[in-house]
Amino acid sequence: MRGPFAEWIGRVKSFFADRLGLEDLQKLADKKRVPIHRTSLFYFLGGMALFLFGIQVVTGVLLSLYYKPSPDQAFESVRAIMTEVEYGWLIRSVHSWSANLLIGVLALHLLTTYVMRAYRKPREFTWLTGVLLLAMFMAFGFSGYLLPWNQLAFFATKVGTAIVGAVPLVGKHFLLLARSGENVTGDTLARFYSLHVVILPLATFAVLGVHLYLVQKHGMSIPQGVVERFGGEDKVPSMPFVPHFLLRDMVGWYVALGLLAALAALFPWELGEKATPLGAPPPGIQPEWYFLFMFETLKQLPGRFFGFGWLEGEVVGVLFFGVCWLVVLLVPFLDPRAVQGHPRRLLNWLATWAVFAFILQTASGLGAIRLKLLASSLVQLGLLDPDPTILDSYRWLALVEAALWSAAATIAFRFGVRKWTVRESMQ
Amino acid sequence: MAEVPESLARRTWLLTGLQASIGATVVAIFYPVIRFLWPRPATRSGAMEVVATFRVNELKADGEQWPARFTLDFDGKPCTVIRTPGGEIKAFNAVCTHTDCTVEYRPDKGDIFCNCHNGLYDLNGRNVSGPPPRPLELYKVTLRKQKETDPPGQEEIVISRSA
Repeated sequence: MRGPFAEWIGRVKSFFADRLGLEDLQKLADKKRVPIHRTSLFYFLGGMALFLFGIQVVTGVLLSLYYKPSPDQAFESVRAIMTEVEYGWLIRSVHSWSANLLIGVLALHLLTTYVMRAYRKPREFTWLTGVLLLAMFMAFGFSGYLLPWNQLAFFATKVGTAIVGAVPLVGKHFLLLARSGENVTGDTLARFYSLHVVILPLATFAVLGVHLYLVQKHGMSIPQGVVERFGGEDKVPSMPFVPHFLLRDMVGWYVALGLLAALAALFPWELGEKATPLGAPPPGIQPEWYFLFMFETLKQLPGRFFGFGWLEGEVVGVLFFGVCWLVVLLVPFLDPRAVQGHPRRLLNWLATWAVFAFILQTASGLGAIRLKLLASSLVQLGLLDPDPTILDSYRWLALVEAALWSAAATIAFRFGVRKWTVRESMQ
Repeated sequence: MAEVPESLARRTWLLTGLQASIGATVVAIFYPVIRFLWPRPATRSGAMEVVATFRVNELKADGEQWPARFTLDFDGKPCTVIRTPGGEIKAFNAVCTHTDCTVEYRPDKGDIFCNCHNGLYDLNGRNVSGPPPRPLELYKVTLRKQKETDPPGQEEIVISRSA
């Protein structure tokens, strides 16, 4: 049943199709299918991340029409956006909220592709570009955070770049590169603005392009157990991407859009106070929540290690996280027998422990929990001096406590997982 | 006329509903964005008056040049205050009516000239030669004595829009 409107749409479509060779795209789109199984829900996360990135680009471009990237004008321009520009509050708050939601979705996307072992051959490069994209999006978050030039932004950047400087040998050079000088100044703001608005977007488009191309080329990854259960990849039930999966995708996007608008309206992003570089930072200064797990750990590490006085705690922390990132990056090569379906026990235990540690340290950073049980138990047992100044130098007990709680949760989780579920689709 | 089966009619309703919802969503997104893009017009009061920082007796040429400080900001646009060769004090909107360049008073030639495309105006603001399509807007000049006992030449120059 084609009404006149549908008729007109059809004519417009053929106008472009005849001239732009859209039939090839149409063929590709028709070929794409999405497998249906117990963990199919995870397939939505990649598209959700892409949607939120699109929101960032659009709101970011709009903000760039009013934002002025100089220390004298930055704060004032953001104030004007929030209070004077029509719907400026909406655009800015959506931009800030969407950034946080995006990182959250990316973390889930990373976790679920790990769980599904979607990185196994031939999809290793999809994983590599994906981890690279995660690092780039965190860089987006870090550089964008400075732009309002308020107290929080200024000091968070000062601390963040100082931590970069803690890397041995090359740290000082990276610090100078990041800050565009010794200190955080207008030069830093200009550099971060260029990074946020030009360099990272261009690089992201390139890497994302490769990532998406690879996803189209290899198709959706199906967990090994599901493949075995149906006796072959082509025997797994699936639905067409267009229009079935895409419409489901769009439902999710619609909900996300509504959520962002609600968050912007109910919890508008704060303006803060204009940065005073020469003053002291406000109390409780901390980076965005997705950096907290590293920030907390670095806070907890002792300045110098007992017996290894030459080793700075900060350096150990930075190196430790560097190694962690490297491990995450190289997961496909650390689990080379994924294709055959061999279990990856060590990696799984490490990954579970890492997730729990991440949650605990983030919660500790947000002030939601206090890791004081170990220290106070030792005080009770008379093994530790209750003097606050002495106790302060035992901050690292909080770190040990986080590690122990994570280990306990890991053991509980993995034995629970083994006992109560038939994990044929995940090994 | 064949009867439309119920499932087909329901499908049409659903599809129309979907299209309408998508349309509504697009409007709901584009409306704030369009409003965001256009800057809010500055509110301007009807009556506006600016007092120059210089007095009448300061209005003197600097050789062939008319000093730049005699051009002040009136309602966001440049306004030049001049003393004509005949001794009159005049003030006009110095934005050329051609393509918005700022015009120049030439005290030696007794005219107003636009450097951009050689537009020429007389001291009544009339566009006498070149591309400008309309005359310059003349403002009302009031000379105000601060104190009754002030000698002439010390008056303040008050510029306002002529009625």
